[in-house]
Amino acid sequence: MSRDSNYDHHISIFSPQGRLYQMEYAFKAASSSSGLTGVAVRGADSCVVVTQKKVPDRLMDPTSVSHVHSITSKIGVLVTGLSADCRAQVQRARYEANDFRFKYGYDIPVHVLAKRIADIAQVYTQSASMRPLATVCLLIGVDDERGPQVFKVDCAGHYLPFYAAASGAKEQEAVNFLEKKVDDMKGYDLDQTVRAAIMCLGTVLGSDFRGNEIEVATVQGTGGKFTVMSVSDIEGHLNAIADDADA
Amino acid sequence: MASSGSGYDLSSSTFSPDGRIFQVEYAAKAVENAGSALGLKCRDGVVLCVEKPIPNKMLLPNSSRRIHTVDTHSGVAVTGFVSDGRQVINRAREEAANYFETYGSKIPPTVLADRMGSYVHYFTLHGSLRPFGATSLLASYDPETNDASLHMIEPSGVSHSYFGCAAGKGRQPAKTEMEKLALHKPAAEENITVREGIRQLARMVHAFHDDGKDKP
Repeated sequence: MSRDSNYDHHISIFSPQGRLYQMEYAFKAASSSSGLTGVAVRGADSCVVVTQKKVPDRLMDPTSVSHVHSITSKIGVLVTGLSADCRAQVQRARYEANDFRFKYGYDIPVHVLAKRIADIAQVYTQSASMRPLATVCLLIGVDDERGPQVFKVDCAGHYLPFYAAASGAKEQEAVNFLEKKVDDMKGYDLDQTVRAAIMCLGTVLGSDFRGNEIEVATVQGTGGKFTVMSVSDIEGHLNAIADDADA
Repeated sequence: MASSGSGYDLSSSTFSPDGRIFQVEYAAKAVENAGSALGLKCRDGVVLCVEKPIPNKMLLPNSSRRIHTVDTHSGVAVTGFVSDGRQVINRAREEAANYFETYGSKIPPTVLADRMGSYVHYFTLHGSLRPFGATSLLASYDPETNDASLHMIEPSGVSHSYFGCAAGKGRQPAKTEMEKLALHKPAAEENITVREGIRQLARMVHAFHDDGKDKP
């Protein structure tokens, strides 16, 4: 390990041990820089993304702080990582989705968009002059042919469909929680999916939330639109979770 | 933690082992040491204020402006390397002009802030470029919503909308003062007007300005 020359730490070339250090560091930046955790869950006919809403500065306008974005009216994404990189990632995804619609005449399916973002990310890991974007994307949408889809795309250009996925600081704990519920998730309706995602986040962060401390977004049903949930709806779910816990 | 850089700080396209991009952090430091720029979103508009250190008594008083017009409805105050700031502003002017030409209406504040953020961010991606050592405060009016907004675009390319923001040397005392003004309560009656905002910002700058440290 100590035989690694210094150059492989600086640009995207292989170390003698076959590692790409810059890519590994990009992962570190993606998971730890924002301190947030994101969770995505797929149900029987819907998918959900949930993350914390931390406004770092009281003087900041809270409506301008969001990690959940729509790419098309039917596909949404939760991006975690370096803020400016996240923004660039969303811009590019929107461009790619619209370009696809223009060229082929129909809306881009989730898995095609995921692959496109992943392929672009891969190029950055193979070029010396550009660094990888330190972001992890959780894409959600309901595909016409395949039903609800959750895709996780990371800095290395991996993209995989998931029943449930997590990203960010507490990714591992979230995944442990989700693994226990994965068999039940396949039959969940929208409300159950939302609550599973919120409960996962709550357990992993060890705290209860108020409605304005988390962001929730959903897509439901074939042709369903990507919708960001209002604070009052979130509170409805939080209350339902609390009631279930008391019962 | 390799916090001193030690080889990972030579280009924008290098992550450090703990996932930081030092060049971007250093660019932010360049802003921290420069003359302050403050912005306040008041109930009837936005106020921008820039502390303009006078390095040389021979300078003409009204030269070397730090607040620039981007469009008839937008202005930007810049701090840090002012020459870097000029590039960002030139780009903002192009974006605004282009938008009007393409869509026939004035560029909305959020779109302009996003474009400026994307532009600044681009320079943090390539190894052959360096980040801008400048933070821009964008004050802009949106005719659709009939509301003005204040955005701050940092050297990393991050941009947010603010009720009050400050960059440069005096940002800490300025932000403390701004929080006392309770700007985050948007109720129209409680919020201050632009007239009052000008006085408040002038008061803040006066409080922390240090003549002895007049360097641009």
